[in-house]
Amino acid sequence: MINKNKDIQLIRTTCPAHCGIDACGILVHVKGDRIVKLEPASFPEKRDRRICLRGLSSLDITYHPDRLKYPMKRVGERGEGKFERITWDKAYNIIVENFKKISDKYGWKSIGWVLGGPGAGTTKFGAYLRIASLTQSTRVSAWGYGDAGLPCGSRIILGHQFPFFHLQGEFWQRKWPELLMVWGTNPGESMPLQNMRKIMDAKEEGTQVVVIDPRFTVTASKADQYIGLKPGTDSALALGLMNVIFQNKLYDKIFILENTNGPYLVRTDTGKLLRGKDIDIKKTDTYVLWHKPSNSAKAIRRKNVKEASLTGTYNINDIECKSVLQLLMDLASEYTLEKTSQITGVKKELIEKLGKRIAMAKDVTFLTHMGFTRTYHGDISLRGLVSVASITGNVLTSISSGFVPASLNWRPFLSTIPDKPSYHRLGILNLYNAVINGKPYQIKAIWFAFINFLNQCVNYNKIVNEFFPNLDFIVQTELFMTPSAKYADLLLPVCSFLEFSDFISMPYPYLQLQQKVLEPLYESKSDVTIVSELAERLGFGEYFKGGEDGLIDMIMDNPSLEGVNREILKKGVVKLRSLPEGGSFPLAFGTSSGKIELYAEQLAEDGEALPVYLPPIEAPITSEETKYPLTLINGHSRFRTHSMFANVHSLLDLNPEPLVDINPIDAEKRNIIDNDIVTVFNNRARTTLKVRVTDGVMPGVINITEGWWIEQFKVGSLNHLTHDVINPVQEKIYEPNMHMNDVSVEIIKYKEVEK
Amino acid sequence: MNKRLGMVIDQERCIGCEACSIACRIENNTTNFWIKVETRGGTQKDTPKGKFPNLEMDFLPKLCNHCKNPPCVESCPTEALIKREDGPVLLEKDLCTGCRACIDACPYDVIILDEGNNIIEKCNLCAHRIDLELEPFCVICCEGQALYFGDLNDPNDKISKILSERQVFQLKPKEKTEPSIYYCPPRPKKRL
Repeated sequence: MINKNKDIQLIRTTCPAHCGIDACGILVHVKGDRIVKLEPASFPEKRDRRICLRGLSSLDITYHPDRLKYPMKRVGERGEGKFERITWDKAYNIIVENFKKISDKYGWKSIGWVLGGPGAGTTKFGAYLRIASLTQSTRVSAWGYGDAGLPCGSRIILGHQFPFFHLQGEFWQRKWPELLMVWGTNPGESMPLQNMRKIMDAKEEGTQVVVIDPRFTVTASKADQYIGLKPGTDSALALGLMNVIFQNKLYDKIFILENTNGPYLVRTDTGKLLRGKDIDIKKTDTYVLWHKPSNSAKAIRRKNVKEASLTGTYNINDIECKSVLQLLMDLASEYTLEKTSQITGVKKELIEKLGKRIAMAKDVTFLTHMGFTRTYHGDISLRGLVSVASITGNVLTSISSGFVPASLNWRPFLSTIPDKPSYHRLGILNLYNAVINGKPYQIKAIWFAFINFLNQCVNYNKIVNEFFPNLDFIVQTELFMTPSAKYADLLLPVCSFLEFSDFISMPYPYLQLQQKVLEPLYESKSDVTIVSELAERLGFGEYFKGGEDGLIDMIMDNPSLEGVNREILKKGVVKLRSLPEGGSFPLAFGTSSGKIELYAEQLAEDGEALPVYLPPIEAPITSEETKYPLTLINGHSRFRTHSMFANVHSLLDLNPEPLVDINPIDAEKRNIIDNDIVTVFNNRARTTLKVRVTDGVMPGVINITEGWWIEQFKVGSLNHLTHDVINPVQEKIYEPNMHMNDVSVEIIKYKEVEK
Repeated sequence: MNKRLGMVIDQERCIGCEACSIACRIENNTTNFWIKVETRGGTQKDTPKGKFPNLEMDFLPKLCNHCKNPPCVESCPTEALIKREDGPVLLEKDLCTGCRACIDACPYDVIILDEGNNIIEKCNLCAHRIDLELEPFCVICCEGQALYFGDLNDPNDKISKILSERQVFQLKPKEKTEPSIYYCPPRPKKRL
């Protein structure tokens, strides 16, 4: 970087906004004590230099006139937004006093730390885990606010939190497949740099790109083939595709035999996998296969698995058994082109062509993310996708080149005192019941950090009328007076990312430092500093010595980051260790069988052992007359990262207000024209906003992008309409997800509703 | 031969994100947007044309074309607009009276009146950066890596190569202004 201006100091830092994996390196121009400019910082590979329109607008957050400037205590009613300035010392005293009172009465468990998405940040998250663990209070996981469906499905079928390395590992090494299936995600707006650029690079070199989405997104506009389907019907499409593949005998037998539980026998009476003990095989817990050469049931061994029968029904010691693959075939056979088309809204010819194309392409990358898993059975949607990839041999079992992935070590944050148990854990959707009904236990105080809870979580009315009133004490760390902040009893001003340091293990294959560029503005402090100062007063000061830098060193103390330290990262970005020439990085499956579990026996009694299609809980699929015939979904907008940047004027100039997208067919039925003011409603609530009539959403579906602040709607807001129904399977396997894309509504011109 | 600095904008890679618009406004400290990204699709921004699910949508970032024969320069009565030898069409702010003759003369609708100061404003191809051998700020901030900057007169420059390898077009060629901004249209789709 050429620096002709001697008054300007250049500092490299990282944008940790919640797009997370994009984590753009930022070169900051500082003049005196003020940042005058941001630009994309360089990377070892020139093509990786990147920034987005939000990152470019970061100074509009740092220097925003509305920033919270000092600690404040609520003086009006909750929600009124009336606060008075207090000192930090006073703030800490209020916290300690309330925590003592509440923990004396209900135990420390009743104090919950509700941590939102820390983005790419690590120690600001780690600091809270540490204080939660030291005080044995409750850490509330935020995966459930939209991001628990995908991990839940992935845990079931692959045994890992994320399916990404198994599906996209080679794609990240820039090995372009013949066919790229972008399914249930819109990286063009939500991950433009780390994923969308690669999609376009691949396409330039000949990859055929298919996008599956209920909306014709910017990503879809770049696809060779767009496939629009009804929200929540992805697993039906997956079964329809599998049926095409099975019917045409295009499945990859060897891959299925070696890497999935496809050959395992299942008892048709119990739905459990057949074990050695069921048929007097000596190894009692072993799984069993049907051995073709000997025409008998045998314990599964690495050597004999290739000789297993993949199909058929067998009677073994009077127990009727079928192979997993046979059960999957039986299920898929119900999903004829006709039926699949009826459920999903995708044309029959297209389903057939796509099924064959996936099966016959040399290699296929399935690029996916959270979007399509935000329906009631979203975990099965992911399992359906992975099943299609599995039967066609497109799940990776190793990466043949590239870099050793960083694996962060959170242990020091979790089990701080060796003999002392760690924190209690609650999913964010379970928190509703914990606060309102004391189930599974009572939560009485909440500390919100990096989360705009009321704005971003489901069922606004329940939160305001039942949830908040049951809390004795609410603390929130924030930059702005967000809709949630107005309900806090104590508001603590935090820094923008340019005012504190953190370790960023992204974007793959890089490691970066989010380096402090400015001293905290006004009286703001970083989350780490706030937690450390509170810990001091709670008698845990020794665990936070060294502040941000101390915690960064702690999380970097990890074999996968050997040779890298804070000082090195200060100088610039570091690449992860590359795999040796000719070497490969194994990607083992974490399931109990060590295989891809096409059949999940632990869900047999739930009727979900196979990746079945179950209709969405609210979204209307059939054309029957219902009171709320439209499905509401909420895509992500490039102008915001969730609710961040919604108050940034430079971006509002390009995108001034919330819009609801509706297909012309649905608009015409309701006498709605472009730019009308409309009300979207269901039996929970209503919201009023401007309409955009567009074929970009499929008939029967309307879209409002998430993240707009409540006060930016004319009436209500997006999450006035959403529900907090828990899926018990998700609760059992992982934690329940919020189903923001599984909501039914009706829409009407604004005037009519006012009559 | 003089340089002819210009750009190639690849519609295949443009994702319509408007980072260029934001980047330009920050770099040049303006209130108006000197780059406007048009949606080539439906009637509203970010919407496609066609009937669901047979849809199409592309994006076209519009900025000053830094024409070889710039009608704005011709039209300016106070010689506030000049065509620099290496390509950029630049405004000498002190000479501009805000008469709008250039706005009428330009066929591309990319010159804007800054009402507060009663002068016009437009893209300057980041001449201040070019002079430091840096690329225009929009180019380095483009999310899709759809913008290429270079010397159109240099056959070895990457943008000359794109011009020779790809199908390209200029806006309103009939106006004979010879824009220095070229566009690559989206590639044909490989349907299933």
